Amino acid sequence: MNTAPARLLEVDLEVERRQVTVKAGFTLEAGERLAIFGTSGAGKTTILESIAGFVRLSSGNVRVDGKLVAGKVKGEAALEARHRQVALVRQPTTLFPHLTVEQNVAYGVRRSAARSRIAELLERLGLSALARARGAALSGGQRQRVALGRALASPFRVLLLDEPLSAVDIAAREALRLLTIETSLEHDAAGILVTHDLAEAQAFSDQLAIIDEGRLLQLGGAHEVVLSPLTRRVAELVGYGGFIPAPSAANMSFAIHPDRVVLGTLPERGVVLTGTVLATRPFGPRYECTVREHSGAQFAIHVDQPPATGAECALTALDPPVVAP
Amino acid sequence: MSTTTPAGNLAASGVVPGFPIAGRLVARGSTALAILGALVIWLALLGPFAVLIQHLSFHSIRAALGPPGALDPLWASLGASAIALGSMVLLGTPLAYLLARGRLPLARIVELGILLPLMMPPLVIGLLLIFLIGSEGTLGNLLADIHLTGVNTFFALIVAEFYEAAPFYVLGAHAAFASVDPRIEQDASLLGDRPLQAFRRITLPLAAPGLATGLATAWARAMGAFGAVVIIAYYPRGLPNQIFIAFQEFSLPGALPFALLLVVAALPLPVLAYLWSARTRSRVAGTKAP
Repeated sequence: MNTAPARLLEVDLEVERRQVTVKAGFTLEAGERLAIFGTSGAGKTTILESIAGFVRLSSGNVRVDGKLVAGKVKGEAALEARHRQVALVRQPTTLFPHLTVEQNVAYGVRRSAARSRIAELLERLGLSALARARGAALSGGQRQRVALGRALASPFRVLLLDEPLSAVDIAAREALRLLTIETSLEHDAAGILVTHDLAEAQAFSDQLAIIDEGRLLQLGGAHEVVLSPLTRRVAELVGYGGFIPAPSAANMSFAIHPDRVVLGTLPERGVVLTGTVLATRPFGPRYECTVREHSGAQFAIHVDQPPATGAECALTALDPPVVAP
Repeated sequence: MSTTTPAGNLAASGVVPGFPIAGRLVARGSTALAILGALVIWLALLGPFAVLIQHLSFHSIRAALGPPGALDPLWASLGASAIALGSMVLLGTPLAYLLARGRLPLARIVELGILLPLMMPPLVIGLLLIFLIGSEGTLGNLLADIHLTGVNTFFALIVAEFYEAAPFYVLGAHAAFASVDPRIEQDASLLGDRPLQAFRRITLPLAAPGLATGLATAWARAMGAFGAVVIIAYYPRGLPNQIFIAFQEFSLPGALPFALLLVVAALPLPVLAYLWSARTRSRVAGTKAP
C-alpha cells in the first residue's frame, strides 16, 4: 500500500505522560544523526524509549526499515524487541550487574567473528584494565562507557543515546564521541542523541531538534537552529538571553546571544545598541558583563575587555535573529 | 565542638542539635538495645538446641531410630517435601514473576489468595482440605476416579505441606523478581535475547539469592508442617507427626531423637541457601573491589 521507499527511521508518536503529552514526528535516513535538546522533564527520554518500543503510544507509530516497532496498526504486529535492530543507552545507565564489563559489552554479540573485536572496542573505550570488573565496582563515567560499548558492539541500525557521556570526564568525551559516530557510520545507522548540553548536541549531530514541555518546537540543521531560532522560547533554550523589540515588525524581537555581541558601533555587521554595564565577572578566559539596554532589557554579554561597571557603552549584536513571541 | 560540626555529620555522630548529651544517650541506648535484641534471638535459638543435644544420649537415639522402619517418617517427609517444593517451583515461579511485573489480571485478588493460607490456622486448613479432597468433596470424587484418595495418603501429605509452605516461596519469589529492574530485561531483549533467554541470562541470576531464600524457607515449612498434616495426613507418618506421637506415647525421651532428626534433615538446606544468597548479594552489590 505504501509505495514510497521506506526511510530507515520513521517517527510519528504521541504519548500521554502525567505532566505533559509528548508529541514528536520526524524521519531519519541511514547515516543521519539527530540531537534532541531540551530541559529535563521535556519528554526527551520518553521519545527515546518510545522509539525503542517500550512505551505504549496513545497514537502514531514508529517504524525501523519500514517495519512496525511501536504503536498499533491493524493487521500488523510490532517487531519483537530482538528483531528491532535498535541499540539503547539509558540514563541512568542500566548494566547487567552480575556480569563483568567484558560480558556486558559482548552481550549482544552473537557471531564469533564479531567477538574478536570486543578486545579492541574495550581498548578504545578505555576499559581494558576493567574487563573483569563488575558493574557495581565502577564509577559513573566508567558505567557509561560500558553501556555505550554494549550498544556499539550490538548489530544495530538505529542508535538511541540518552545523555551517554554526561558523567565521562570532558577530556575523554571527544574520543568516545568519535568512536560512536564512526561505529554508527559503519553500521549505516541512524543515530539519536538526547541531551541538555547544546555543545554536546552540536558535536554529535548534523540535525538538531528543540523540545519543550513535550512539544517539538523546531527541527533543522545543528547550526542553523541556533543561529536562526524561530520563536522566543527556542531562542531562550539555545542560549539567547536578551530580547529587544524589533522596529520592523510588530510583536517580533531581536534575540541577543551573549557570544554574538561585540563592543563598539559596527552597523554593517548587525544591530547597534547602547546600554549600561551593571556588573562584570570572570567567565572562563573571558568576562561576562550584565548590561541594561535602553529599552530596559537586561542580558549578559561575553567580552575580552570589560568596560568599567556603570559605564555607558555601545554594542553591536551580530546579525541577531528576529523571533516571534 | 558541636557548633562547628557540619550538619551532614550530626546524624552519624548521634548528636541531636541543641541536645548534644541527650542525643548521644539516645544513640548509645538504641545500640545497646539492638545488641540485647540480637543476644535474645540467639539465646532463644541456641538455648533449646543446646538442651536438645544435652538430653540426648547415643543410646536413646539408637533405641529410637534403630528398629527397622523407624526411619520411614524421615523418608515420607523428605519425599513429600521434595515433591511439594517441586510443584511450588513449577507453578509458583511464573505466578510470582507475572505478579512482580504487574502482568496478571486481578493481581490483588491473586495475592490475597496466596496470603490467606498464611493467615489461616493450619488446623483449619486441614479441616477444609478434607472437604476439598476428601471423599465428601467433588474434587475428592474426581481424585477417587483416578485412584487417588485425599485423606491419609502420601498424596494428602504432599497437599497439606504444599498449602502450608507454598506462600513462603511465592512471596519470596515475588519480592526477588520485583527487585530486578524490568528495564534491564528490556535491554537484554533489544540486544537479541528471546524472552526466555533474557529470563535465564538476566532475571534468574539476579533474582537467585531471593529465590533461594524463599525456597529454603518453604522447605523448612514443608518439612515441619504439622497442623494441616495431622488432620488430613495422619498416615503415612511424616517426621513432625512422628514426634507428636512419640511424645504422647513415650514422653520426651521418645520424641527428642526424632526432633533431632527433623532439625538435621530440615535445617542444612536453608542455612546453606542463606549463606550462598548473602555471598551472591554482596558480590553483585560490589562491596569488594574486583
